[in-house]
Amino acid sequence: MNGQALRGATAIAGVGCTEFSRRAGRTELQLACEAITAAVTDAGLTAADIDGLVSYTVDPVEETELVRSVGFQEINWSSRVPYGGGGSMGVLAHAAAAIVAGIADVVVGYRAIRARSGATRFGGAKVAPSPSSGHSGTTAMQWAMPMGALTPASWMGLNATRYMHEFGVTSEDFGRAVVQLRAYAETNPAAWGYQRPMTLEDHQLSRWIVEPCIHLFDCCQETDGAVALVITSAERAADLRQVPVRIDAASAAGLFDQEIASDHYRADLSVMDGSVALAEQLFGRGGVSRADIDAAMIYDAFSPILLMQLEALGFCGRGEAKDFVADGNLAPLGALPCNTNGGLIGEGYIHGLNLVLEAVRQLRGDAVNQLDDPRTILVTASRTGAVLARD
Amino acid sequence: MCPYCRSLAVELAELSGRGVVYSYAVVHHPQHPAFEYPVVVVLVDLDEGVRLLSNLTDVATRDLRIGMPVEVHFVPTAGGMAVPQFHQATTPA
Repeated sequence: MNGQALRGATAIAGVGCTEFSRRAGRTELQLACEAITAAVTDAGLTAADIDGLVSYTVDPVEETELVRSVGFQEINWSSRVPYGGGGSMGVLAHAAAAIVAGIADVVVGYRAIRARSGATRFGGAKVAPSPSSGHSGTTAMQWAMPMGALTPASWMGLNATRYMHEFGVTSEDFGRAVVQLRAYAETNPAAWGYQRPMTLEDHQLSRWIVEPCIHLFDCCQETDGAVALVITSAERAADLRQVPVRIDAASAAGLFDQEIASDHYRADLSVMDGSVALAEQLFGRGGVSRADIDAAMIYDAFSPILLMQLEALGFCGRGEAKDFVADGNLAPLGALPCNTNGGLIGEGYIHGLNLVLEAVRQLRGDAVNQLDDPRTILVTASRTGAVLARD
Repeated sequence: MCPYCRSLAVELAELSGRGVVYSYAVVHHPQHPAFEYPVVVVLVDLDEGVRLLSNLTDVATRDLRIGMPVEVHFVPTAGGMAVPQFHQATTPA
């Protein structure tokens, strides 16, 4: 694959979202419509300008319903990204590829979710496949559930325990990352964690979800809401309302023997192989330098995978994330300010796409916890990711 | 399909039922009425090289160890089937 073909060719021209809550009181379709309309307006476009759609395979909003609700006139291309939340940043790779290929001009990427108030809570105990789970037929359903491993926390906990074992990582090490995320969330009015300070002691005293790796406060917040992005060519974006946020590299990696959240069959579970492959795509073939990354938005469904991704992406050595975090590197003045909206743990869980929203805001200069003039930001979710930048 | 040789032939093979704990997760929450909590979920690397997700039934949480030798036993299910679970190995390797 020649990742260079995508380099700087496309840009995020608009972003939109709903409020993030525990009870939206309206359907995912309506949430998607609201977020998309906000994003299109943000870009200075109208619904008639949109000719491409991309979402997650697990998103419940169906394309034809969306078209007739928002008032899109002619959609020429659409796609969905697999891998659950790990596929979230694949929305960017799919959109960029379609635009570079010339099969769509302006693509809307979206995710609408009622992870808290929906028919099944996202972290609830599931004992049967749901039609939109994306896990149907995988080991998550066939082999994990009969054994009482019913939730993403239980599946990822197996990987996290092995990681702790390999490198002497403790729950406090995860907690120090959570404290930083919650510090960002504390000053973000859109966040679940707004004005809710949290200490390491609070973290340690929160109840076990999965021992010895995941306390309650290591978990993201099941959230209702939607996020939408408008993506077009960099050339067209330059003429639109907002400062363009270029997509300098984007990729989605799927490896042999990987599963979705129940990823238990690669040889060494203490390393996130998908993120290693992603980093090679972005920083190797993608042509971006890791040293250029000013900040990162990293999928933190549970805190252990934040540390594991820091290592797999090459921001520190294997087993060194605990020290990287303890040294304050995720903070505003650290080496890699991270999840400055509070992350999925502190802000809310729009299945990862709110991390892209935050990256765009940081690059435009209008984030609530604004960093000092960031130019290049990495957004990743396990095996999918992108490098976003502005001039 | 076998991902190594593309064969579609399937046969049953009896394994030793022995292996070691590769990782574990002690599930406390959320709770489902079908299980007794906490549920000890383990990944067992079987001697034959297969990794299996299962339960460890006779070990207190504080005594769980990665690398612990384990052996299989089968537990009947409500549907008249049986599932493999594991306990600490009692016979020498």
